[in-house]
Amino acid sequence: MTFLQPMVLFGLPLILAPVIIHLLNRMRHRPKPWAAMQFLVSATRNSVSHARLRQFLILLCRVLVVATLILFVARPLAGGWLGWAFSPAPGTILILLDRSASMETRAGATTKRQQAIQLLAQAAREYEETSHLVLIDSATRAPQEITRGSSLNQLPLTQPTDTAADIPAMLRTAFDWLIENRAGTAEIWLASDGQRSNWLPEDSRWKDIIARLSGLSQSVRVRLLAMNQPSEANASISIKEMLRRPRGDKSELQFVLDFQRNRNSAASIPVTLTLNGERSESEVAMEGQSLRWRHTIDLGARREGGWGSFSLPADANERDNTAYFIYGADMPLLATVVSGDAAPARCLEFAAAGRNGRPAPLISPGAFAETDLQSQSLLVWQAPFPTGAVADQVQTFAASGGVVIFFPPGQPDAGRFNGIGWGVVEQAGTVEGFQILRWAEDEGPLAKSDERISLPLGQTEFQRRQPLTGHKDILASFEDGTAFLVRQSLGKGEIYFCSSLPDPAWSSLGDGPVLVPMLQRLLQAGARRMQQVSSATCGELSLTEQSLPWVSVDSVGTKDIRTQAGVYRAGNRFLAVNRSPAEDDPDLVEADEARKLFGNLPVQTLQERHIETGQLQGEIWRFFLFAMLLFLIVEGILILPARPTALRAGLPQRKIPQPEEHAA
Amino acid sequence: MAEKKAVAEGTQLLDSAVLNRLMHLTLLARSPMEGTVSGLHKSPHRGSSVEFAEYRNYVPGDDIRRLDWRVFARTDRFYMKEYEAETNLRCHFVLDCSGSMRFGGAAGTKLDYARRLAATVAYILVHQGDAVGLVCSGGKTFAEVPPRRNPAHLKLIFETLEKAQPRGPTGLVAALHDLAEKARRRALVIVVSDFFCGLEPLLNCFQHLRFQKHDLALFHLLDRAEMNFQFDRPVRFVDLESSLNIVTEPSSIRDEYLQQLHTFLDQLREGCHEFGADYRQVITDQSYERVVADFLVERAPGTGK
Repeated sequence: MTFLQPMVLFGLPLILAPVIIHLLNRMRHRPKPWAAMQFLVSATRNSVSHARLRQFLILLCRVLVVATLILFVARPLAGGWLGWAFSPAPGTILILLDRSASMETRAGATTKRQQAIQLLAQAAREYEETSHLVLIDSATRAPQEITRGSSLNQLPLTQPTDTAADIPAMLRTAFDWLIENRAGTAEIWLASDGQRSNWLPEDSRWKDIIARLSGLSQSVRVRLLAMNQPSEANASISIKEMLRRPRGDKSELQFVLDFQRNRNSAASIPVTLTLNGERSESEVAMEGQSLRWRHTIDLGARREGGWGSFSLPADANERDNTAYFIYGADMPLLATVVSGDAAPARCLEFAAAGRNGRPAPLISPGAFAETDLQSQSLLVWQAPFPTGAVADQVQTFAASGGVVIFFPPGQPDAGRFNGIGWGVVEQAGTVEGFQILRWAEDEGPLAKSDERISLPLGQTEFQRRQPLTGHKDILASFEDGTAFLVRQSLGKGEIYFCSSLPDPAWSSLGDGPVLVPMLQRLLQAGARRMQQVSSATCGELSLTEQSLPWVSVDSVGTKDIRTQAGVYRAGNRFLAVNRSPAEDDPDLVEADEARKLFGNLPVQTLQERHIETGQLQGEIWRFFLFAMLLFLIVEGILILPARPTALRAGLPQRKIPQPEEHAA
Repeated sequence: MAEKKAVAEGTQLLDSAVLNRLMHLTLLARSPMEGTVSGLHKSPHRGSSVEFAEYRNYVPGDDIRRLDWRVFARTDRFYMKEYEAETNLRCHFVLDCSGSMRFGGAAGTKLDYARRLAATVAYILVHQGDAVGLVCSGGKTFAEVPPRRNPAHLKLIFETLEKAQPRGPTGLVAALHDLAEKARRRALVIVVSDFFCGLEPLLNCFQHLRFQKHDLALFHLLDRAEMNFQFDRPVRFVDLESSLNIVTEPSSIRDEYLQQLHTFLDQLREGCHEFGADYRQVITDQSYERVVADFLVERAPGTGK
């Protein structure tokens, strides 16, 4: 409980006034000379216990009346949380508002964000005159001072966004504000739906920020408004992968889309595809809560790029119903093979041939420094790892979106590239050689074909291999666990390491059924760097990118690229901005777990689903007014003189002579 | 008549109009009195009044004028005819002058009431030939006027009554015991008091007086406020006979107070009945004329009281 007028509480000693008045009154009772004292003494002695009890109750009622009157005038505030009794209004209230896309889930007539703002505004209104109100939203994390609590729902910083929230970072911002502004006592009001991907309870920053807040000399308390009420039926869509693939003279877009929903029943979900402004409808049959859907769009003979989106019908959260994409123009795919060994190089040249059908150019490792990789998508390296400036050149190529794949040099190589090194060449001891039983078939260069046919990697014979050392993301491995194909991300591109060669002495990779699709897929993946389009996650754009004059392409109105998902264009550059995939994660942090995250800081938790009054915190003077009236009534009853009829109930009826009886 | 008026005008205690209405009544003793001269009251001795008492056998030396010759003619035996003796009485007024008698309302204190009551009855007694004495008992004051029957004695009685001041604790018990010892002859003892003292010692006094064959009449003076105990706010009650004071909420103890008072009154009434005392409860806002008239009428022969 807090008070808007805490100074009034200094009047609490006034509750002793009834007692003092009572004592004074005892001394100034009008004296009455009395003759029948013997009966009075006896009666007083017999009735003293009841009289004292009654008198005590009367005094108690009067004391409580004064106490409730003082509390009433002090304008107490409460929000159903106990443990905050008799604390004054804080000097500063930091309102931390989760504006992530998941907060746009509707619960009833309004979204969680709107409900949170309404509750926060009601509570903040009571502190307008006594406390400093500062808003920190999850999208910008820029503290903004507000003068009126009621203006919360009109501020741009409280409007819906497609961003994700970072709760530890918001707390850090709040801490920094407290330090910079040398604030006094403070309360942090945190309104969030408790999405685990926003709270990041495993993040090491929690301990650091809580330790800092606890270490402040001033009192800091946290009020947590958990908007974790269950939502209505909702489904979300996101693009996992997108690839423009040539098909002869034509090309097509291949998508891997993820669907999430909070219902288990089987349903057919209509999906609206918007491609360069033209709409078309599809339907997805869905069972369970998640689905990965592969979809292909035929682009025909068009070679230019474009944009589009997949949309779901309106449901509880409209923010997660659309996924935007941009595809680039059809570009020539070029690869370069670097090798000093003619036998495998020949296979690699043909396997990495471009769309014009010509083999990829072969250059020696020594001549690589003069090679221009500007128009290249794939670099096939079959030689000892590059070093020095050459290694930097290869890394720059990969970081810009190109793909590099290393094949064994066939000789000992002490060098390492990006943490990966070559081991000693091993020869299989049996005729069957090394066997590969499992590999990643969902995605990557060894994925199944469009017809869902697996690559014949299991039938490929491996007699010799040169194992890889170091940490790696293994896409395929031999039966003894030794890696066959390893992937590493570097910047926008990827680096692959293959532990065998397309050489008859090494393996049957040179036959083609595995090597050709693998390199062709890598060639296409490397083509991303050739396109002036890209995608981004809402809220994660760099300041440089934010500063560009972005214009919305997918809608007529204006959009803020920092907080709104969509397709944007700045000059010749296109950008598809989507909400963070983590926003589709339904996992929530429970209230107890959230409270533990705050360590020793005093925390009040209010779960929105338990709010009955619709108020986060409000004045409760009515309660004290009612209590005061109740005490007044009780006191009035107690001081009522006893009824004469009751008095005489136990006494015999007596006739007392009346004066008029003798008047005659 | 002129003398009566003079006396009435000589004191504030008497009202001529009241006396005129009451003088046709007589106060009679309920038991035989031992007087010195003939009067209205029965005597324990045989005398020469017109009231026949009994026959007895003749013994030598008897006055033959009192032989019943008719009986002798019928029975041939001598019987002496006995007659009731009638004498005057001695009346002792005992007036309680303790501090509690100072209690009263606008109409006056209990002592004022007692003064008028005693003065009126004394006047009637003297003028029917009886002797009247007075004892004023208080804490430190004790005035005593021996009984006399001459009208001039009334002046002394009235002066003593007027000078009586209510003060100090009650000394009624001691006064009554003292009177019982001193008054050897049968007398009428009229006690006017509020009897706010211990019940048992009081009843012992009555027993003592009755043992001495005195006719005992009690006027129990009470104020209506004492009977009702109606107060609407806390009051500091100050004892009229001591320094004791009690602050209390009257409404909270009224039940208990009235219970105690009525118990006391019942026990006092029963005690008086047991000892044959003529007990009268008087509320001080009643007309004393009516009280005196009732007293006189109810003691008249044939009233059955």
